[in-house]
Amino acid sequence: MPRFQISHRLSALGLVVLAAIPGTVFVASAAGPASLRVQIVDEAGLPVRDAVVELHSAKAAAGPIRFPWKMGMAQRDQQFTPGTLIVAKGSTVAFPNLDQVRHSIYSFSKPARFEIELYGRDQTRTQTFAIAGSVKLGCKIHDQMRGYIRVTDTPYAAKTDHNGYATVSGMASGAASVTVWHPQLRAPGNESRSALTIQGGAQTQKYRIAVK
Amino acid sequence: MSLVRMLGTPAKGAFARLARLRFGALSTRIALLYAGLFALVLGLVVTLAVGAFARFGEESASRDLAANARVFDEILAAQARQMGDQADVMARDFGFREAVATDDVPTINSTLESLEGRVGSDMVFVLTLEGDVLTAGATGVPAPETLWQRLDEGAKRGIIRSDKGFALAAATPIEAPDLIGWLVIAQPLDRATLDRLVELAPIALDATMVDGARQPAWLRDAGADTVFERDQGGRHLYHVSDLPVLQDGIAPRLVLSHALTKSMAAHANLRWWLGILACGGIMLVLGLGFKVARSVTEPLQQLDEATRLIGEGRQVNLNIGTDDEIGRLAQSFNRMVAAIEERERQIVHVGLHDGLTGLPNRKLFTEQLANTLARRRKDEQVVVAYVDLDDFKMVNDTLGHPAGDALLRMVAEHLKEDLPDAMIARLGGDEFAVLFAGIDPGQNLASIADNLQRSFDRPLRINGQAASCGASIGIAVAPTDGKDGNTLMKNADLALYRAKHEGKSTYHFFEPSLDEAARCRRQMELDLRAAIKEGGFELNFQPLYSLAERRLTGFEALIRWNHPTRGRISPAEFIPLAEETGLIIPIGEWVLREACHHAGTWPDDVSVAVNVSPKQFAATGIASTVLSALSASGLPPRRLELEITESVFIADVDMTMATLHSLRNIGVRIALDDFGTGYSSLSYLRSFPFDKVKIDKSFVEDLGTSKNGHAMIRAITTLANALGMETLAEGVEDIAQFEVLEREGCQNIQGYLFSRPVAADAVAGLLRDGAGYERKLRA
Repeated sequence: MPRFQISHRLSALGLVVLAAIPGTVFVASAAGPASLRVQIVDEAGLPVRDAVVELHSAKAAAGPIRFPWKMGMAQRDQQFTPGTLIVAKGSTVAFPNLDQVRHSIYSFSKPARFEIELYGRDQTRTQTFAIAGSVKLGCKIHDQMRGYIRVTDTPYAAKTDHNGYATVSGMASGAASVTVWHPQLRAPGNESRSALTIQGGAQTQKYRIAVK
Repeated sequence: MSLVRMLGTPAKGAFARLARLRFGALSTRIALLYAGLFALVLGLVVTLAVGAFARFGEESASRDLAANARVFDEILAAQARQMGDQADVMARDFGFREAVATDDVPTINSTLESLEGRVGSDMVFVLTLEGDVLTAGATGVPAPETLWQRLDEGAKRGIIRSDKGFALAAATPIEAPDLIGWLVIAQPLDRATLDRLVELAPIALDATMVDGARQPAWLRDAGADTVFERDQGGRHLYHVSDLPVLQDGIAPRLVLSHALTKSMAAHANLRWWLGILACGGIMLVLGLGFKVARSVTEPLQQLDEATRLIGEGRQVNLNIGTDDEIGRLAQSFNRMVAAIEERERQIVHVGLHDGLTGLPNRKLFTEQLANTLARRRKDEQVVVAYVDLDDFKMVNDTLGHPAGDALLRMVAEHLKEDLPDAMIARLGGDEFAVLFAGIDPGQNLASIADNLQRSFDRPLRINGQAASCGASIGIAVAPTDGKDGNTLMKNADLALYRAKHEGKSTYHFFEPSLDEAARCRRQMELDLRAAIKEGGFELNFQPLYSLAERRLTGFEALIRWNHPTRGRISPAEFIPLAEETGLIIPIGEWVLREACHHAGTWPDDVSVAVNVSPKQFAATGIASTVLSALSASGLPPRRLELEITESVFIADVDMTMATLHSLRNIGVRIALDDFGTGYSSLSYLRSFPFDKVKIDKSFVEDLGTSKNGHAMIRAITTLANALGMETLAEGVEDIAQFEVLEREGCQNIQGYLFSRPVAADAVAGLLRDGAGYERKLRA
């Protein structure tokens, strides 16, 4: 069975991995806790919503990772909500069914391959995500239902709002890498990575990504 | 060398026949003209029809081809759709998705294998998003990088090229739940498949797949989805479709071709049939044209022939039984011929018959007589009778011409009734001729004549009045009186002349002496003419004595003819002949001139009296003759006295009166001669104021023997005096008569008592011795 290299495929598709664009880096003048405000736009310059921005600095943060949002993904109106959820590695996520119909949950993604059989209204199932990566969730009986869980191992992760903005803060200055993930991002693993130097203080960065 | 000479004599004959056809027969011309016109129109129609059929055939073939191309496309699309549906079903299957998502190669292979079997395809494969190709053993799958982009753009159906050639493919995405790859089902579009498709088409098609990169030049220029024609071993129609593709780098085109030549062969057949039909039609029209034209020209020929025969005087009856214009023409022609014959017959009848009585005329009579004489047997007698009605002129004058005509018709009827075996003809006027044929020698001819005479004794009624009409008849008998018609008729006429002279209502047979008398008369006529020319006449003058004036007051001029051989001939002998022949007119003129001439030499109180015959009087120009005689002699008009008899009134009273008045206007005196004889009508005296009345000598002769004589003389003189007219007594021969006349009042005396007529040169002497008469009378 022939197999082709991804790189080969990528070059064939002509995909562009967007790194930090020189000249788009704005350095904050004031000192203080470092924060990075990132805007994600597509090739047309329009903001991309629900893109996950992760920052890995050289100096890893100590202690468990806590995010300020609930570790749950409900099923409402035959949709996963929120559609994209960032969880820390090892988190257990609840999947309450708020619909009148039954739903199942499956994932063929490598970080978490599992199947939850059909369950009814007001029932909840849970799943623990032990490996970092992106997990794509579907419902066996509702093909249009898509849910994405980004299992991350860094506390500096955020999801872009409807203006394409996401902000991470509290990281140490120094070299860092920024990973942008989005389910439609045209790149292996649907993510792109670029290097960045955290200078401390408020910092703004704009990334342009190719989405389908 | 001319064409005709090259072709030789038979061709020349044919040419001549053609020329005759053209100029001769009407039927040929009509038939050829109509056939030609028909051929022209038919040729035009056939040409148009053949063109239209060909165009229609081409157009319909091209329409069919376009429609078939659409059907082809539709079939391919349907097939692709069907494969796509099956791929969809498979791609939705959770197990399959799980297998693909988890890279469970054995499961995927088995699934693809079973799918191949289900859809009848030899090429089912999965192309993953990462660019891997998973198959169940199929070979020749196109390179994934040539498929990826189209699939990624969402293309689902199209042509791909495997190592076996073009194939129809359908793809469907595999989502778990996001897109992880595509399931592709393909079926080869090889020769066998195309042929199977072609068989579905209603027209003969040939389908081929051509790659755009390797197509011939003419195909490259051809636009998609249009039908065009190209000659490639016969006419072909082409249709090219550009098929959708699922693979980069290929440009499959479906080329459909239709052999137009083959489908048009049916039309060519039709053209042949049309041509044959047209030729048949032309022959039919030619034949019918000949037939119709002949139905017109044949009767025309008959008419032509009939006209020619009629021109030759033959009897013809056209027998054309049709009810059309020609039949009516023939009927009219027949009627015309009959009418012409009838008129001819009438003309002949009129020419040979008398219009008034319907009897044969002189011409027919002469012919019949000649025929009869020619057929006469040896001992057979033929009798010709000439009839002249007595006093017919009286009937005409007194009762009018219609009455005269009626009389003639009645006489003709009587003759026809009484003499059924005889041929009766009217020769003109009141003359008839009767022909008796087949008379035996012993038969009594007088009884035949009596028979004929009795026919005129039958009573007649005209205008309700009883009338009688006697006839004088002259008869000549063949062969004794003549053997030919002319002689017979002349002799019958002579006999008639004699009968007339012998008295009326008699018949007279011809005898040779009649011929002699006629000869004499003819001689005398010739002599008269000579005498007029040579001056063979002279005038004698008898004195007229006036009792009142006791002297000679004038002379009556009397003509004398001194015949060169016969001596002096009495006027009583030649005057009637002159009257008959009309010679009286030149003679009368001569007398007038001569009398005036002599009178001009006499004393002024002596006049001259000249007799004017009725014929002379009736002739035009008597007044001018008198005038010229007067002026030539210088005699005053009052010294000329014209003596006329009552008979001048018989002809035409009005004209006579007019002439008398014109003479009176000249100034001459007019005396009524022979008064008392003839028709003596006192109305004449009343109607015209005569200057003198001459008492006829018969009354003078009576004076010595009859007492009544006196009374007559007295009555006449009394009447004349009362009317203011002089009286003169003629033929006074003795003194006793003279005395009576004088006593009864007669004013003038003429007679031997005084003098016989004397020659002109003796007149002077008589005048000189006028006293001598006086003495004689007194003595």
